[in-house]
Amino acid sequence: MPSEELFYMPVTELAKRIESKQVSPVDLTQLYLKRSEKFGPRLNAYARLTPSIALAQADAAEKEIRRGHYRGPLHGIPYAAKDLLAVKGVPTTWGAKPYANQAFDYDATVIEHLNRAGAVLLGKASMIELAGGMNYRFASASLQGAAKNPWDTSCWTCGSSSGSGAIVAAGLAAFAIGTETWGSIICPSAFCGLSGLRPTYGRVSRYGAMALAPSMDKIGPMARSAEDCARIFAVLAGHDPKDHGTLPVDKAAFTYSPSMELKTRSLTVGWLTDAWRTMDPSVAKIADFTEKTLRKTFPVVHHVALPQGPWDDAGNVIMGIEGAASFRSLIRGGQVSELADPLGQINGYVSEQISGADYWQASRVREILQKKIADLFDSFDVLATVSQPLAATPLDFDLETGLSFPDPLGAIGNLCGLPALSVPCGFTEKHLPVGLQFVARAGDDFGVILAGRTFQSHTDWHRRHPKLA
Amino acid sequence: MPDNRISRREFARRAAIASAMGSAAASVAPAAVVSAEFSSRAAQTPPSANQAQSVTPSAVSAPVQAHLPANMARLSPESQAEADARLHAIMVQYGSRFTDEQKADLGRLCAVVQPPLDRLRAYAFQNGDGTALYLKPLFEREKKPKPAAGSQPGAPKPAASSAEPASDAAAKL
Repeated sequence: MPSEELFYMPVTELAKRIESKQVSPVDLTQLYLKRSEKFGPRLNAYARLTPSIALAQADAAEKEIRRGHYRGPLHGIPYAAKDLLAVKGVPTTWGAKPYANQAFDYDATVIEHLNRAGAVLLGKASMIELAGGMNYRFASASLQGAAKNPWDTSCWTCGSSSGSGAIVAAGLAAFAIGTETWGSIICPSAFCGLSGLRPTYGRVSRYGAMALAPSMDKIGPMARSAEDCARIFAVLAGHDPKDHGTLPVDKAAFTYSPSMELKTRSLTVGWLTDAWRTMDPSVAKIADFTEKTLRKTFPVVHHVALPQGPWDDAGNVIMGIEGAASFRSLIRGGQVSELADPLGQINGYVSEQISGADYWQASRVREILQKKIADLFDSFDVLATVSQPLAATPLDFDLETGLSFPDPLGAIGNLCGLPALSVPCGFTEKHLPVGLQFVARAGDDFGVILAGRTFQSHTDWHRRHPKLA
Repeated sequence: MPDNRISRREFARRAAIASAMGSAAASVAPAAVVSAEFSSRAAQTPPSANQAQSVTPSAVSAPVQAHLPANMARLSPESQAEADARLHAIMVQYGSRFTDEQKADLGRLCAVVQPPLDRLRAYAFQNGDGTALYLKPLFEREKKPKPAAGSQPGAPKPAASSAEPASDAAAKL
């Protein structure tokens, strides 16, 4: 019987053991598959497992490593991919009933990158239907039902990368791939006590991924530490001629090794005073404590306020209209009625009515916002605040009223394509994790990773994990 | 068997109403006009069961205002008219698809979406502001004169000496 700790081991640790042949990729994959079969259905974590792919990839990895051909830190490491990423021949449902039988005959670019790195695909992670593109009121807005939080199964994981959050938090895979248009990596990472990276817009190809709002969609890793995120991101990042949204070769590529951190600068941190209008008292307490920790950890921490403006409104208009355009045939054809969520069944009709003039206005606001934020980053390397103003919500919580508070940092970060990293920074009295979010200027993904690494070298929140019965 | 034939005059009247409805969503119609349209359709053109895209009585008789959340500030007459028109446009195009509960919810959503639009439209632009075509993130600031040293006492000093993204700088090490 393997130690529970093996399932919660960071990628960096597993990689060392795999490279030194202490851990066999085949054994590791079988153990994760067994655990996923046991706990996956209880948590509604997977859309489906892919055991035949996993075992074939693990076997190939093991043979290569035995021959002395070690590809790098993801070689032989089992992971899960959000079910909006195309995997050749495997159903890709986008979490939604109208696409329950959809399959593609090619792999998404990120899957290709992970294949090349020798990673092992355990399965497709469940998700909120259409990544929340038609909006949703309840956690149950998914083909698999509500994803249950391993820290407290009466609570939700947050979405839309809901299954990815459950899988990593429950130790069902070493890492998972999530996507974010607005909040879908940061929020599940916070609710599930994970380290999750939302990369700069355009650094990771979306080819083969479901499009929601193409000017805002991003793909990133959800894992156990900032360093794990850096390792995975280094594999995912890169220009892709098949995704015209990707940045040029020199701007998209990302390389990482811990030695880089020794030669880099110390960070100036801006602690945001107005990111959240209100905070749950248990989270506010952790926020205060976290600010003190940051002051001990980083040489310069100043209070800073976000620029004021209708950023949330612009973000909602852009996401609503792009979402309505992406799913126009679903709306016009009436198949939105097959979605699980009552709000998802009708909200697209309203988004479709927003005018082009309003989209243009929102886009101009976006342009101005980018410049204001670039000015802010003249004075700070990273901005920091808690990732969410509350901890994981109950499964039957009305998200439309309960999670619809203003989120100017989320709007700014996603409208401007800024990188963000959420890392665990404490637990509430109910033992639910709380996340700390770092945000940096566009392109400075290394900045948020360095901030997360520095924070995690002084804390151990990221090493804690839930006990599954 | 119902007689579905209509007179040329009735056809012209319906066409005029349909045309007005179609453009309502994209223009800010005065509240009075939209209200008149609502009541006109309610009184004169009750939907028939065999109309594919009919406007149902509940949608017509319960404009957006009736569905406003209790804690929501009252919309201005112009905004109210726009929200009503939005709901009406949805009902004209898709009305037969919805249950009464969904229609009520749509009414609420049409109202809820209005204040963000009003705030967004109120944002003032300067003549030289950008044209909104630059969707990729800004990587490098446009060249601008650096502020004179010491011009902002107390302002935090940037720790990074280079404007270059750290990842790129680090990659060259």
